[in-house]
Order: sequence, then structure tokens, then C-alpha cells
Amino acid sequence: MRAAWTTTAASVRVIVAGVGYRNLRDHSVGVEVADRLETEAWPDGVVVEDLSYNPIAVIQRLEDEPADRRFQRAVVVAAVERSGRAAGTVAAYRWDGVLPVDEEIHRAVTEAVTGVIALDNTLVVTRHFGALPDEVVVVEVEPAVHEFGDTFSEVVGRQLETVCQLIRTYATSAEAVERLVRAPLGGVAQAGVRTS
Amino acid sequence: MCFKNLPIEFDAQGKPFLRAGVANPYAPTTTAPRGVPAQLSADKVEELLRRNGYIKDLDFDPVTRVAGALAFHTVADFNARKVIEARSVATLFRGYEVIMVGRDPRDAIFITSRACGVCGGVHSVTSAMAIEMAIDCVPPPLGILIRNIALALEFLYDHPLHLHLLAGPDYSSAMVGPTNPSLLARARSTEAPRAELHGFRTMGELMDDLNPLSGKLYLEALHMTRVAREAYVLICGKYPHPQTIVPGGMSSTITLSVMNEMFTRLAQFFDYSKKLTAIWDDLTEFFYTANPAYKQVGSRRAHMIDTGIFDHPDAYDATYANAGAWGERRWATPGVIVDGELVTTDLHRLNIGVEEFVDHSYYEEWSGNGQRQRFPTDPAGNPLSPYHPWNKVTKPRPQGQSWKEKYTWDTTPRWDRQSMEAGAYARLWNTAVARKVPANPFIESTGTSLKLRLPKGALPEMEIEWKVPEVWNAFERNRGRAYCTAFTALVALNNWMAAMDRLKLGDTRTSTPFEIPKRGEQLGVGFWGAGRGYLTHHLVLDRGAVANYQIVTPSTWNASPSDRWRQPGPYEEAVLNTPLLEETDDPKQFKGIDILRAIRSFDPCMPCTTHIHSDAGVITREVNTCACGVDDDGG
Repeated sequence: MRAAWTTTAASVRVIVAGVGYRNLRDHSVGVEVADRLETEAWPDGVVVEDLSYNPIAVIQRLEDEPADRRFQRAVVVAAVERSGRAAGTVAAYRWDGVLPVDEEIHRAVTEAVTGVIALDNTLVVTRHFGALPDEVVVVEVEPAVHEFGDTFSEVVGRQLETVCQLIRTYATSAEAVERLVRAPLGGVAQAGVRTS
Repeated sequence: MCFKNLPIEFDAQGKPFLRAGVANPYAPTTTAPRGVPAQLSADKVEELLRRNGYIKDLDFDPVTRVAGALAFHTVADFNARKVIEARSVATLFRGYEVIMVGRDPRDAIFITSRACGVCGGVHSVTSAMAIEMAIDCVPPPLGILIRNIALALEFLYDHPLHLHLLAGPDYSSAMVGPTNPSLLARARSTEAPRAELHGFRTMGELMDDLNPLSGKLYLEALHMTRVAREAYVLICGKYPHPQTIVPGGMSSTITLSVMNEMFTRLAQFFDYSKKLTAIWDDLTEFFYTANPAYKQVGSRRAHMIDTGIFDHPDAYDATYANAGAWGERRWATPGVIVDGELVTTDLHRLNIGVEEFVDHSYYEEWSGNGQRQRFPTDPAGNPLSPYHPWNKVTKPRPQGQSWKEKYTWDTTPRWDRQSMEAGAYARLWNTAVARKVPANPFIESTGTSLKLRLPKGALPEMEIEWKVPEVWNAFERNRGRAYCTAFTALVALNNWMAAMDRLKLGDTRTSTPFEIPKRGEQLGVGFWGAGRGYLTHHLVLDRGAVANYQIVTPSTWNASPSDRWRQPGPYEEAVLNTPLLEETDDPKQFKGIDILRAIRSFDPCMPCTTHIHSDAGVITREVNTCACGVDDDGG
């Protein structure tokens, strides 16, 4: 059950973005969550979109916002396989924004323009080219299965509403975001951030 | 003579037939290709490696800055500064042929699109054309014109991307400086001959702006991909997997407003093409002048194959019987080039010469063990090989890698048993030589060149000319791709003008209704092209469902392994001919830049996979490449 937002609940412009593939079972978490949240009523300034496409086009999408209305926070949700996490783990953190070396960024751009859609690629490429807001909250779900299909594994399916609730919180509460630990991409476990 | 290896001859009417008296005419032992290069045997290479310290393995795994998963194994002689063994390895199984069996053929339009995250639309159209042929459905003129424009726009996304994001950095100061410092020093003091077009005073400045991530040309190419994509989604709904391709045309609603919005984007490629061709002319000439040995980088026989693309609405009738006629009316002429000579422009002859082998590929043979050849002839009665795609059965068999046995997921397509390459440049070459391009104000085929008249933009109206090159190598592939950007933009312009004429006549119909027959067996083939060239989908329908589906992409040809006659695939052959021109004598410092230039000049696009689980234990990286959903125009 989502909260009844008031128009003053969000003081910054926020984009909530799902990243993933449709019909790829647990790896569809990003698009599923975006689909669910997109139809909800949000405070002014909060936009929910499926950004599951070429990150270069994502840059261009973000840069299309008027200069005085650029997003100030992104809340990005995706299924990501990280080592050492149990399937169904939900992890949320503030990305520290540290980028890899140029060679890796260029590799990410190559993958971007040739069709690879992945959370890390999207964040690295959009940050490198300055399109991403300074404040980025990442909500990751550890998938259990990687196969064709439109259903989630039980362990991931159970977490979908939890994920939606986390995103509602981080999209609208600067205080909640402040309480999150800053962490590098893929460094969630080491940073000891919230998991459930 | 069209075929010099396969025993196919022609009667007085030009009808092909198998030469009499040849037992098992397609048996590999009966018909071996003559006069082709051969790899050293794996045993010989192993012996050389054992006996000579200056001969070393040099592996590139993965080859970066290519689409998809490619690895490349070489053995290099650092004394002679040459490569003595080259093995191209596609590390992923594609599997669309397996996925398609048993499905409604219309699924192919959407499923095969996912073979590529760049050129999904070309697969959609090729599958639609295969279905059209199988079910006898002809698109209306506007549907054909709009389809041509859509695909041209897709290529206008693809070519800049390759030239300045993937291949371009190989010629950047960031790359040339560490590998060939004297060359970069020379570039800094060499004035760029075409500075007035591209704006770079010296070759060094030009190389600076080819630098990845920061170079102006790199960033400009990223921007131009947006321009092409925006135009594309106006008629295709989204990129790279369109929603408006159907058998019998397009489901798009085409209005004057759509056409005008599209034109404002298309027009940006006229000036961009002038700049691109000037850049690649200057780069090519600079390297040739600095060291003529660069002409050997990526060199191989000028053996090319292309299906042609962009149909003429007065000619295309979707039949196999007339494919030879409508193929030759295309804006890009189909053809096969052997040693630089055009040997046919007939799609029938092109088609019947194609065979696919799996001697060094992770598949089981489907022919030669007493199995019945499903189709001894094509629908026109021309002879077909048991190795032809219509006869092929995809039987994956993962196993360990061995240069002597199997080492790649790519198959080995051959035409007349020869290793052919595909590419945008093959499109140019055929069209330039054949002199069959439709009458128009912008493109002229001279027999030895293509003259391209680009309209005025910020730059003045200009005629540029792509000439059939005297040498065939990595530089000419890139230069050809730059000129093909101009060619493609002008094909789009011609088709845009023709489409406007249809609209002015009140003709807005873009598709023809159809039904999938539920009885009998039908054959179809889509002869089309990707940005990288040749593309075919061969389809067999049985009682309304797909009984066989075979895709041959440009990179199937280019990345193919050596064949049973030890004839190397195109990447392999190009690398074997590449001198090692890096300015270092220390193998540990060696970056392999010339080898990588050779490979990347083909614009490799390794068809990608979603999910392969192998009980045999081959571990593959799972990669999903479909930029689904981008730029949905909401329409």
C-alpha cells in the first residue's frame, strides 16, 4: 500500500528508473518495478521510467530535461548478480559515483551502443558523460534464475513489494537517502549496507 | 565463368545444371577449391613454437571494441614480424535457428531481431521477406519505399558508430602514440589535405579527436547515432527492435508530417558524409605515405559477396522465380566478386553457390552420413548442395577447443567453396561495377567507381567519388564504410522523394493483408543486408509452422574458421597477411595494434545469445543484447 503523497513531499526532481530485460524472469525486476510504480500518483517532480535501453540513449533522454529542471536524484532498480549474496537479497545504497579506468568506460560505451543493457553499464556511461544526477540510489535484487519467462522465482517474487516500498521511500525522503551508506558499484556487501 | 570449383554449368538460356558424369558432385573430396591460401597445419605450428623462441602465441580474448563475443588466437613470428597462424573464435552460441523451429513464422520477425542489439531491424525485414516469398505476398509501393528508408536509417546509425567508436580509436593519437611514436610525430607535422571539409589542420589534430571518450569525432558519432535513431523511430516505433515490420510491408502510418520530420534528420547526414569521407581519405593516404607496408594490414583477396538491398517498387514481387530480375533493380546491386572481378549479379546464382560447413565448428554434421538431401534443387529447379542453408540442420555439439578439430561457434559459409567477405564496401563495389543502379540525380555507377552527389547543407553541394581500390585491406574497408554512409544517405533521399510522390498521389497504403497457409510446404528466403553487408534468412514452412530456419549474417562469413581444405576465413586470412609494424622489439610490450586494425576493419558483430546451458560442460558467458524499448515514439 503506497503512501498518499502531497505535492510538497519531494523537494527535488527525482527519476525512478528500472533497468533490465522483459521476459527474463528474475532479471526483469527493474522493468517490473518500473511498470508497477509508473501508474501510481507521485509528488510533483518524481518521474518513473523504464530506462532499459542503450545507455547512450539514456544520456540523451536525461539531457533532454530543461537545464533548470534536471533531475537531482536518481533511484535506480535492477536485478544484479553479485558474488556472495543469497538469491532474493535486496540491497540499497548510495552509489559513490567512482568510475573505473577509461579503458573500462570505453568498453562500457562499446557495450552500450551495441545493445548490452546492464545496471553497471548504464550507471558508468551516464555518469561519465555527466548526465546522471549527483545523488544516485541503487536498489539491487540478487536474482535466483536467469532464463526466459515472465514469472519470477519465488524468492525474488516475494521481494517485489519490498522493493517498491523502498523506492517510494528513497524517491521522496531525503532523510532516508541520507541514512544510506555510500558504496561502490558491486561493493554493497563490503560496505555493510542494508540488505533484507 | 561463374563457378570454377562447384561442378555447375549453364545451358544456352543461362539455366544452371550439374555437370554430367561427376559422382557425388558436392562431396568435399570431389570438389576442393583450387588456388586458395591455406593455413599451416596445427601440428606444424606446434613444432615451430617448440623449436623457435621468437615464435610466440598471441591471443586476444576477448577482442574489444567489437559487438558481441569474439576471441582471436594467433601465433606470431617476431623475427619476421608476421603472423603464421590465425584462428577466429566465436565464443557464443546463437541458437535462433533452434528457437525458431515449430513456431508461427510471424514470430521470426520479432525473435530473430534479437540476434543483434544494433541491427535488429535488418533481421526483422529479412524474416518478413522470407515469409513474403513463402506465402506469396507483395508489399505495396509505399511499403517498399518506407522499408528501404528505415533500413537506410539503421545503417546511418551503424556506420558512424563503427567508424568513430569501434574502429576509429585504432587510428587515434591515444593508440598510435604508444605503438608507433614516430608515426604520431609525423602526423603532428603533416597538414591534413582536406582540412577545409573536416576542420583539422594537421593529421595529429585529427588523430587527437579520434581518441575514445574525449575526442570530438567520438562524441560527434554518439550524437549522430541519435539523429539516425530519431528518424528511424518515426516509422519503426522503436529501435533497435522495430514493431512495424510485417510480411507485406510496414504497419506504420505515413503522413507528410512524418516524412518532413524524418527529412530534417536525414539531411544532417549529407554534410556529415562529406566530413566522414574526407577524414578517412586523409587517414588512409597518410598511413600509406608514411609506410607503404600499411597497405598489407588486413589485406586479403578481394573476394566478396553481397545480397544487394533496397528494392525498387516497380520490380520487387517477392517471388523466388524473379529474384534474379528484381535483385538487379535494387539500389545496391547484389553480386559476387572473385579476385576483384564481379562474377554474377544474379541472386539465383549467388544463392545456389552458398554452402555452410561445420568441420571446425561446435556442431554435428547433418549431411554425408546417408541422410536424404531435403531439397536437391531450389524452387526454380536450380541445383542445391546438401550443405546449402535450405538443407542445413543446426545440431549444436559443445566440446573442448582444439585448433585441429573444433574451435568456434561460427560455421563456415563458402561460395563456390571460396572464403568470401561481407561488408558495406561489398555493397559499394558491386553497385559501382555492375552499372545497374536505377536512374536518379544523386548516385552514378561508372563501372569503376560510384559518384555520389551530396546536396548542399552548411557545406556546399559536392560530388564525391568512391573508386574501386587497387589494394584490399583494413584501410580500404574503413574508407569504403565512410563512402557507404554517403551512398546510404542518398539511397534514403531517393526513396524519400519517391515516397513523397506516392503520398501526393494519395497512395498511403504501406502493407498488404496476408494469411499464413496451414497446408503444404513452402520455401522462402530473405535476401537483404545488414550495415555490415550480406544477410539471408532461409525458411521452410510446413503446415503453417517453421520447419527449418537458417540465418547467415555478414559476420558468419567474416568470422568463419578455416575450412576442411585449410582455407582460412576472412578475419584469419587478413590477419595472416598483416605485417607487425609496431615500433617495439619486445614481445611483452607488443599490443597487436595492426592485427586488431585488421580484425576491426570488418566491423565484427558476433551474433549474441540468450541462455545456453550445456550439459557437456562448456562454460559460456551469458549475454543479452537487445536494446529493447528505446525511443518508443508512443505512436
